[in-house]
Amino acid sequence: MSVNRFSQDSAMIALDKFTSGKIDRRAFMTALAGLGLAATFKPGRAAAETSEIVVCNWGGAALEAFQKAYGDPFKEKSGIEVVIDGAGPSTGAIRAMVESKNVTWDATDGGMVDAATLGAGGFVEPIDYSIVDKSLVGDGMAAEFGICNYTFANVLAYDAKKTGSQTPAGWADFFDTAKFPGKRTMCKWIQGQLESVLLADGVKPEEMYPLDVDRAFKKLEPLLPEIIFWESGAQSQQLFRDGEVVMGNIWHTRANLLRKENPDLTWTWNENLLFSSAWSVPKGNPAGKKVYDFINSSLRPEGQIVLLRLMGNGPSNPKALDMMTEEDKAVYPLAPENAKTGLRVMAEYYAENEAELQNRFLDFISR
Amino acid sequence: MIVVTNFRRWAIALTVPAGALAICFYVLPILQVLALSVTEPSFGLGNYIALFQNAAIGRVVRTTLVVSAMTTVLTIVFSYIVAFALVQMRPGVRRFAMFLVMLPFWISVLVRAFSWITILRRNGVLNSALGEAGLISEPLELIYNQLGVIIGMVHYMMPFAILLLYANLTDIDGRIIQAARSLGARPFTIFWRVWLPLSMPGLAITTLFIVIFSFGFLVTPAILGAGRVLMIAEYISVQISGTLRWGVATALSTSMLLVVAGLVALAMRHPAFRSAFGGSQK
Repeated sequence: MSVNRFSQDSAMIALDKFTSGKIDRRAFMTALAGLGLAATFKPGRAAAETSEIVVCNWGGAALEAFQKAYGDPFKEKSGIEVVIDGAGPSTGAIRAMVESKNVTWDATDGGMVDAATLGAGGFVEPIDYSIVDKSLVGDGMAAEFGICNYTFANVLAYDAKKTGSQTPAGWADFFDTAKFPGKRTMCKWIQGQLESVLLADGVKPEEMYPLDVDRAFKKLEPLLPEIIFWESGAQSQQLFRDGEVVMGNIWHTRANLLRKENPDLTWTWNENLLFSSAWSVPKGNPAGKKVYDFINSSLRPEGQIVLLRLMGNGPSNPKALDMMTEEDKAVYPLAPENAKTGLRVMAEYYAENEAELQNRFLDFISR
Repeated sequence: MIVVTNFRRWAIALTVPAGALAICFYVLPILQVLALSVTEPSFGLGNYIALFQNAAIGRVVRTTLVVSAMTTVLTIVFSYIVAFALVQMRPGVRRFAMFLVMLPFWISVLVRAFSWITILRRNGVLNSALGEAGLISEPLELIYNQLGVIIGMVHYMMPFAILLLYANLTDIDGRIIQAARSLGARPFTIFWRVWLPLSMPGLAITTLFIVIFSFGFLVTPAILGAGRVLMIAEYISVQISGTLRWGVATALSTSMLLVVAGLVALAMRHPAFRSAFGGSQK
C-alpha cells in the first residue's frame, strides 16, 4: 500500500517541477490531452485491434513523466500509442474493476506487495515471461504477478542544523533522544517502519523477517510521544521545512527535494530500506498480450534514466548505472555506494501479512 | 380544489426524474455495498460479530465518540454565543458579521486543516506569539493529538451551527422578550427563562446535526491527528482501498448508518425535534 502512495507522491513531485518551470509546458499539456483521450475511449474497446496500451498510475504530472520515460520510446518502436491514465490503481480499484468485468487498464503502477496481494486474490494475470525478458531487471525484481519498473527507498533524513552537523549513524540514533533531542517523523503506512525500529533494537538484517512485531512495538512505545506520523510525502517534507522535526523515516525522493531547497536538510543512505515498485496486468486487460511488449520496452535503461531525472525514481535495470552521472548516482538507491548497508524490504512477507500488520500498527500508534 | 390536486400531481411528477436518478445511482449502489457486509468473504453475519470481538475497532469507535461529543459541546456553546450576538446586532453590522461567518465555507477542508497546522504547530503563529510574550517557556502541544483534531472539527462545524441557531433565534417573537422585561425580569432571568427554553428546538436539531456530521470526519483527524487519532471514517477508508477487508469496512459502514438512523428516529419522538422539523404545521 505504501508503494501506491509512493507512486502518487512521485507524481506530485513532477507536478511541482512543472509548476516551478522545470518541465516544459507543451509536453505537460500533451500528457493532459492524453488523459482526456483515455477518458473518452475507455470502455468497450477490448474487441478492437490493439492500437493503444492504457497504463494507470497516480496522476498529476507523473502522467507526463511516464509518457516520456515509458510511452514515447514504445510508440517509436511499435507504433502503438501509450495512454497514461492517472486514476490511481489502488488494490481496491483494481479489484472493483476486475470483479465488474469492465477492465480498462493494461498495466498498473503499484508495489511488489500489491502485485502479490492482487495475484493471490486472482485479480491480476501472471506476468508472461515468455515475452517479458527477466534478465532486464536486477535480482529478485521479477515476481509471478509483478515486474519491477522502478525502485525507491525509505531513508533516515535529518536536519543538520539541529543535529549540530552530526550525521546519524543509523536507526539507533533515531531512538537516541539524548544525543539528538527533538521530534521525529515516521510514516503511518506500515511498510518500512517496523524494520527501522528493529534495526535500531539490534536485529540483524538477515534475521529481519518474519518481523518481531511485539519487540518492535515495545521498542517504539516510549518514543511515541516524540513522533509525528506522516501520511503523504508532501507532509513529510513540510515537517522538515517547518523545523518541526529533527529526523525522519521518509522517501528518498522527498529527502532529495529537501536537500535541493536547503542543504541543511539532508539524509543518510545508512540502513536505508529498499522497495521495488512493479507493473501488474489486471485480469482481462483490453490489449491482451501486447501489454508485455510495452513492459519489455519500459525496462530499457534509457527510459528509466529519464524517470530518475524527472522524479528521482531509481531504475530497475542494472545497466542504467553505467549511463549515470555522479549527480544521478547520488539519488539512486541501488548505486553501490548507497546500497551497502541497505535492507531489501521483503515483498512476500508483506503480501501475506500487510493487512493485519497495518491495522495493528494504526491501533498501536493511536492508543 | 381540482386545480390544487392537479398542481400537486404535477409537482410530484416533476420530482420523478430526480428520484429515479437518486435511486439508480445512489440508493442501489449503496445497497450493493452494504450487501457486501454479509457476503464478503463468506455469507453470514461474521463481519458484524467481528466488529464486536475486535478490540481495535472498539477503540476506534470510542475515539470517534469522545471526539464527536467534545466537538458537539464546544461547537454548540461557541455557536450559540455568536448566533445570539448576531440576533442583537444592527442590520448593517450583522450583514458584515454574517459574511465573516460564511467565509470558511469557501475554503476547502484540506486548506483549513493545513492552515491550522501553520497556526498551532510548535514553531507556529500561536506558540511563537505566546513565547515572545513570555507567557510560555516550552511550546504547547496543540496539534498532532486529540486537541488539534477537536479544534479543526469545531472550526469546521461552527458556520453550520451558527446558521441553524440563528434561524431558530430570529423566529423567537420579540414581543415575548418585551413582555418579560415589562414584567420586571432581569436580563439573566430573561435569557434563562425565555431565550433558552425557546431555543431548545434549534439547539436540539443543531446538536443532532453536529453529532451525525462528526461521526464521518476523515480529512481533519487524519491531518491534525497525524496518526495518533484514528476515527471510524479513516479506518473504513484504509480497509477499502488498502487492506482489501471490504467485509469489515462495509459492516462498519452499515452499523454506522443504522446508528445514525436510530439517533434520528429517537430524536424525532421528542417534541423539540418535531417542532424543529415540522415548522408551523404542528
